Amino acid sequence: MVNNPAKRSIWFRLHIDGPLLVGLLILMSLGLAVLYSASGESTNQVFKHSVRLGIGFVAMFILAQIPPMTYRRWTPVFFLFGITLLIAVLVIGIQSKGAQRWLNLGVTRFQPSEVMKLALPMMMSWYLSQYHLPSRFKHIVIGAIIMAIPTLLIAKQPDLGTSILIASSGFFALFLSGMSWALLAFLAAMAPVAVYVMWTFFMHTYQKQRVLTFLDPETDPLGSGYHIIQSKIAIGSGGVQGKGWLQGTQSQLEFIPEPHTDFIFAVFSEEFGLLGVLGLLCIYIFIIARGMYISVKAQETYGKLLAGSITLTFFVYIFVNIGMVSGLLPVVGVPLPLVSYGGTSMVTLLAGFGVLMSISTHRRLLAQG
Amino acid sequence: MSKVTATAKSSRKGAKRNTGNKAPSLTTWRFMLVLSSITLIFCGLGARAAFLQVYDSDDLTRRSDNRTIRTKSEDVERGMILDRNGIELAVSVPVQAIWADPKTIAKASKKANLPVELDKRWMALADVLHISRDQLFKRVTANPNKQFVYLKRQVEPAMASYVKNLKIPGVYQRKESKRYYPNGEISAHLVGFTNLDAQGIDGIEKLYNKQMVGTAGSRKIRKDAKGREIEVIEEVEPVAGQSLTLSIDQRIQAVAYKAVKSAVTSFNATSGSAVVVDIKTGEVLALVNSPSYNPNNRSGVQSHRFRNRAVTDVFEPGSILKPVAVISALEFGSFTADEEINTSPGYMRVGGKRVQDSRNYGKLDMRGILQHSSNVGITKLALSMPKEHLLDTFYNLGFGGDTGLGLIGESSGVFGDRRRWSKFELATLSFGYGLSVTTVQLARMYATLGNGGVALPLTILKQTTPVEGEQMISRQTSNTLLEMMESVLEKDGTGQKAAVPGYRISGKTGTSRIAVNGGYGSDYVGSFGGIGPVSDPRIAVVVLINDPAGDYFYGNDVAGPAFSTIMGNSLQMLNIPPDADNHHNSVIAARGGEND
Repeated sequence: MVNNPAKRSIWFRLHIDGPLLVGLLILMSLGLAVLYSASGESTNQVFKHSVRLGIGFVAMFILAQIPPMTYRRWTPVFFLFGITLLIAVLVIGIQSKGAQRWLNLGVTRFQPSEVMKLALPMMMSWYLSQYHLPSRFKHIVIGAIIMAIPTLLIAKQPDLGTSILIASSGFFALFLSGMSWALLAFLAAMAPVAVYVMWTFFMHTYQKQRVLTFLDPETDPLGSGYHIIQSKIAIGSGGVQGKGWLQGTQSQLEFIPEPHTDFIFAVFSEEFGLLGVLGLLCIYIFIIARGMYISVKAQETYGKLLAGSITLTFFVYIFVNIGMVSGLLPVVGVPLPLVSYGGTSMVTLLAGFGVLMSISTHRRLLAQG
Repeated sequence: MSKVTATAKSSRKGAKRNTGNKAPSLTTWRFMLVLSSITLIFCGLGARAAFLQVYDSDDLTRRSDNRTIRTKSEDVERGMILDRNGIELAVSVPVQAIWADPKTIAKASKKANLPVELDKRWMALADVLHISRDQLFKRVTANPNKQFVYLKRQVEPAMASYVKNLKIPGVYQRKESKRYYPNGEISAHLVGFTNLDAQGIDGIEKLYNKQMVGTAGSRKIRKDAKGREIEVIEEVEPVAGQSLTLSIDQRIQAVAYKAVKSAVTSFNATSGSAVVVDIKTGEVLALVNSPSYNPNNRSGVQSHRFRNRAVTDVFEPGSILKPVAVISALEFGSFTADEEINTSPGYMRVGGKRVQDSRNYGKLDMRGILQHSSNVGITKLALSMPKEHLLDTFYNLGFGGDTGLGLIGESSGVFGDRRRWSKFELATLSFGYGLSVTTVQLARMYATLGNGGVALPLTILKQTTPVEGEQMISRQTSNTLLEMMESVLEKDGTGQKAAVPGYRISGKTGTSRIAVNGGYGSDYVGSFGGIGPVSDPRIAVVVLINDPAGDYFYGNDVAGPAFSTIMGNSLQMLNIPPDADNHHNSVIAARGGEND
């Protein structure tokens, strides 16, 4: 779509990756439509969401202007800043609903783990790109330690969803840097041990309850199994064609908890059916494929690892959210990216796409120059 | 170990590493692998959605509906039962059912720290509902997990509002309706009654339950999680129950009931019935039995009182059936109306058995046979034709068949379809033994006679269009019979007590022994059936008094006066002008009218 040289130059001057932008725009319009339905046709919420989308877009646009080299230079500082914030949260953070995740900035509350969603992949890419690829085992171990610090800090808040996302972003950087298959196999073998350690030492009762409920939701249909059962009912009652926009009953009638945030996929599935779900997945795959393409085409190791890591983290969002809502995974508080209502995570995501676009467009500029 | 492998690997890919940091050496295939894995995982998610939305969809949709769809019903009032003139025979009045929710009660009493037993309001409730306190307390405290128990149903509005004002938590009311029968015992058997749930369980209430119940309206609605109504999916408009207009004339019904009741009382009879039929339409104007019951308070009523004897009970009718043999003989032509038959010496032998009259009547024509109710005479008529012809006449006049009424528990009597009727059996048949009939069957026979031989089906509903009948005997024969049977009520006749001043009435008495254990005992059924006025027959009346225990048991004595009362009053109520010339002046005098 960017064959015209004149047009190409406009995109380049703006540092916008066209296909990515198109994918994001389709996704976000869809998100607004579903949100309108899921919020009970609340124009207020749709407006708020649009405002945040706007902020996210501005952030994306600005971040796209900064060349990857600059990111690389500032990465260690940014990472240390993020770690400081996370420690600050544990010390002076605000507690809400049994978790200490926020910093009070006076005007608004701020969730430092969101910073880390970008800071960690940057740091991993920064560290790993200093050496020849594939990474040596030593670098992988050091990378794993870098990755473990913010992950554990966030898990301590506690915020299982975000720590999973952060850990995966770090892991993907390691993986893309050329982690050996043997090590991968070893890690896979260690997974049960890790699960046991997590279960015994790190997970909170409510998190354990979520997992237990996930394994057999019907044991507690009115308690913690309620969410899963209701959302499965919503998805299933959509059928192939769906009930139509604004026609979903399960979700419209408040049977689904938080229909406009984490469970918005249930609303979407009920109203748009299997066809809608497949369409949505296609859009996501398109965006991910574009992200991977940018990563593959990146001429610099830093950009390559960063782009891959950001893209794959985006995928983890989708997988965890849809898996959770459709009853394949335990309930973990991960939003459906760019569709769910919820400010910070969306701004972070769009910021991430800004970095992606920077990697994409500055590469070309370099190639031309 | 891992380190070694990693090193080995890096050396294997060493060739691609030479571009250093600025030229990434990573193979594209690692990215491609990642991308394919992602696509595969997405396919998995899609498959999961497909599983839920296609395979599990019906079940999940049903569960969704279970959570959101509710059906509310809207009761409609039961239709009324009216007589032919619009008088109410059964009406519905709004009452309340008082019910309790033991769970709520238990919670409330725990919260207030006041056991039900010590709560003054509960004592007041027990008293106003006429339930013993202990019983009431037990009912609401026995099972505190229950959420519904009736305390009392069909509570009058005044009491219900008192209960409401007690404001006891967990005690609620539900609208229901109570059936009220303004005419009480007079029409009880015919109208029947309903149960607490307003479903007819006897009489007309049961027979026409469907029409009267109507269709309860229903609203299928979708609710949200908070119980708010979101949309109406389906709405069935309630169809009010139809009111039913019976053919009954309540005035005649009342007169008939009073007459039968007084006859039953006077003659110490077990029971009595009367049926009045409009000859021209087949409509039943009155259908009464005694003993009856109060349909508004049925507690403690012996079950036999509920029986609608006029349709359910069968009996051997006796002489009241004699006209059938006369008709048969006339129609066959074995005798003419004026031909004399010798009944001397007052008895005869048939097939080795004896048929006897109460005295020797000598030579009698048909009119005489009916007038004196001569068994010998009627036997001679019956034996004067092939038995098939005689039996056909019985069938044609409706015996052994149904009357068209279709009332609950209606019997069609017993009329054996025996291949070989012996001569003696034919003889007894001709004076009304060897078959069993109901009172309404008799009434229909008399109505057919009065209607020029055209049999109409009987009906309990008011007719708006003329009903097609069937000519069963010739008009001439039926007219002849009417004339002959007039003599029964005249001087020297066996039914003088049935006469109605001012009107020409034809009729026949019946006095039959009640069969017991294969023989006949000393209990009788006294009956009278008749038609009036003869000049233009309008109504047929049959009165039956079962088992009178006093000195009187002849149909004339026990049923005749009641017949006269019912026939006379009915004719007047229906504004039918008197047709008896010789009585004309006396009737006018009796009414206090002109006198010349």
